[in-house]
Amino acid sequence: MIETISLRPGITLRCCRDGRFKQGCLTVQFLRPMGREEAALNALLPAVLLRGSRKHPDLRSITHALDDLYGASVSTLVRRIGDIQTVGLYCGFMEDRFALPGDKVLEPMLALLEELLLDPATISGAFLPDFVESEQRNLIATVESELNNKQAYAMARMVRTMCAGDSFAIPRLGEKEDIAAITPMGLWQHYENILATSPVEFFFVGSAESSQVAASLESLVSRLPQGQRVRPEHISLRTAAPSDFSETMDIAQGKLCMGFITPITNRDPRFIPMQVLNTLFGGGMTSKLFQNVREKLSLCYSVGSSYHGSKGLVTVAAGIDFDKETAAREEILRQLAACQEGHISHTELTAAREALLSALRASMDSPGAIESYYSTAAISGTGRSLDAYMAAVEAVTLEQVVEAARSLQLHTVFFLKGGV
Amino acid sequence: MERHDYPALAEKLYTATLPSGLRVMVLPRKGFTKKLAYLVTDFGSVHTSFTLEGKEHTVPAGIAHYLEHKLFDMPGDRDISEEFASLGAIVNAFTSYDMTAYYFSCTERFEDCLQLLLELVYTPWFTEESVLKEQGIIDQEIGMNLDAPDSVVFDELMRALFHAHPIRVPILGTRETIREITPQMLYDIHRAFYAPGNMLLCVTGDVDPEEVAAQADRFLGQDRKEPGKKAPYPSEPDTRARELVRNTMEVAMPNFSMGIKFPFPGLGLDGIRREMAAEIATEALFGESSELYLKLYDQGLIDSSFGGGFETVDGCAMLLCSGDSNAPTAVRDAVIAQAGKLAREGIPEEYFRRLLRSAMGRRIRGLDSFDSTVFRLCAYAMTDFPYLTFPEVFQSITREDLQPIFARASHPEHCAISIIDPITKEDNT
Repeated sequence: MIETISLRPGITLRCCRDGRFKQGCLTVQFLRPMGREEAALNALLPAVLLRGSRKHPDLRSITHALDDLYGASVSTLVRRIGDIQTVGLYCGFMEDRFALPGDKVLEPMLALLEELLLDPATISGAFLPDFVESEQRNLIATVESELNNKQAYAMARMVRTMCAGDSFAIPRLGEKEDIAAITPMGLWQHYENILATSPVEFFFVGSAESSQVAASLESLVSRLPQGQRVRPEHISLRTAAPSDFSETMDIAQGKLCMGFITPITNRDPRFIPMQVLNTLFGGGMTSKLFQNVREKLSLCYSVGSSYHGSKGLVTVAAGIDFDKETAAREEILRQLAACQEGHISHTELTAAREALLSALRASMDSPGAIESYYSTAAISGTGRSLDAYMAAVEAVTLEQVVEAARSLQLHTVFFLKGGV
Repeated sequence: MERHDYPALAEKLYTATLPSGLRVMVLPRKGFTKKLAYLVTDFGSVHTSFTLEGKEHTVPAGIAHYLEHKLFDMPGDRDISEEFASLGAIVNAFTSYDMTAYYFSCTERFEDCLQLLLELVYTPWFTEESVLKEQGIIDQEIGMNLDAPDSVVFDELMRALFHAHPIRVPILGTRETIREITPQMLYDIHRAFYAPGNMLLCVTGDVDPEEVAAQADRFLGQDRKEPGKKAPYPSEPDTRARELVRNTMEVAMPNFSMGIKFPFPGLGLDGIRREMAAEIATEALFGESSELYLKLYDQGLIDSSFGGGFETVDGCAMLLCSGDSNAPTAVRDAVIAQAGKLAREGIPEEYFRRLLRSAMGRRIRGLDSFDSTVFRLCAYAMTDFPYLTFPEVFQSITREDLQPIFARASHPEHCAISIIDPITKEDNT
């Protein structure tokens, strides 16, 4: 159901033709290696592109163009997919058939995208200093505001220590000091390099035919420089020495984070059993962690686990009272041990499988979710279709789940506690 | 069931009122795998006084949310969340100022899930022990909110904006008020506001509307019970209670939320028209396409975290905006001054048309989201407005409708601002 069209060497359009929705979406992503040298540049770039172009010199002019397109939206897109950082734009727009007679949305939307990407506002051969500086401030504020979400802050703090030396330790939006050091000329040169050398992925969801989308993108694509576009490579997870540490902050609730490593990544045949295990262990309200650590023992308000398949990492996060640290930590490990020893009921396994299936099925029901699933699958190189994924989830056995659990090893623990 | 066609939106809505009094709305969506059902009551955290069977009741703040948690308890060892999970469904609930909703989404076995939802909501089962046990969990939830700047800045704004309206108290209540809650109070509220005549079932997905109504009807039967009556709100002065409230927390940058108090716009078509006109006025005042937004953004007074809109809660309404800023009061002053300018000068007709088209397009796009569509269908039905007629309402709004909104917003005495400042080194010593 996903049609793949090669527009030029290294420039791909993927289309999911679907007439069920009232809106369509189109994304453009340039693929970059996830690295300290350029993470901040990549994160800043799309924000600057959205500040103004030759035809639309300021924010207000761009917004007016979008308002005319029935409230269409263009937003920045910066994803971490394993060792790749994607940088680009996300366009969301109403389907043509809901517009007033004679009005079109898709075509002018793609023309606007071309304008924003290829005719940015410049001065003396670089981005406008005003735009760059204010977006630097904004991006730094966004990075700093992570501090407002204590759980996310605590998790980032743990990952940074645990994965020091790996791209996973680099914040998705780059380091504050790297953002601050960017110059308009440096960013411009980086962009020129991206335009000339990075693989480009377009993804479209909507009712239009793929040939029509390809034709409408031709003007944009024909203006991209020709040449070799090489995909960044995936690298195995590198970890620092295991550690167990804490930090204090003026907060009312403690945040406990635990990091586990596994050799199973998303390119491994055991990937899907690992997904099921993660769901069963800590993914949602039916999981062992939620049912036991929260519901039965009231040790915490929130608890859950996440599996980062691109790197082979499982993290557990819990919001707890300060004096419950030891008890919560022991109970989390006890629940993992139960999985490793095969103490998994039929109900638990079915619930985990069903929760995962349900989420996968529902991801077919919105343009954004379709785009996110399929473009990530294509870029990460797994290329797994949703149907194949679901069939594999249904086939997962208890033994496979136990094997996945046994591959997990506790690596690092971090506790963010109260008091200054 | 009654069928309502909305050809411009390519939607058909089926509605009915069952003999038990339950209102049912079904918006079929062919070809989608997800199905979503909401069972809601128009009872929320601001409703702490009511009459039931001639008797007056006053209940502690936070009880609507407490009840939402406790309704998941079932007699015996039944774990209803697990039962939903075994059907591959996700069940959840939320409490707002003026609504409590119980909902599930599933992809298969919809009938079994709907049965569970009806059992969940219509099996009140509260004991001293179970009510007591919940205190710890809700304490934690309150604690989490006290650590969340967004939530603190908003709760403090409500206290600054209002003198007497119960919106002054956070939805969760406080650690003190929730300790006053007894099983009997929960039973009283359930009888008063969870009577089918006071509730609404709204479903979307690839389902048969008639079957949905028939199933709810079989479950509820013919018995129609008299719901409770909410007490009127204490009288609320037209002006804000306090101009400014400041707190400090672990934030990187000052965070603010400001509000401009408006009279409750009323129910039905007139109310909605006023609300939607206010939505357009808000866009013209400080939306991304406004003169003010660009100016403040260029001056570095706001960043992309800035945003806002017009909010209506039972008995009150307000124009809100929030974000991070190093000079929150300068942003406030600029918004009030700009409202004055627009009140004097109006906005160009072309700009107004563009804003209308954009607002309408965004709402049409929003219909792709099951959650926001069902939520809006319910919320508007409770104010007696059929949501899917919004394109006509937008078309009927004129530029002149915006003027009183600008005028109201230009008077500082209607405005309050709540600010969270970062903790500085000096504060710590």
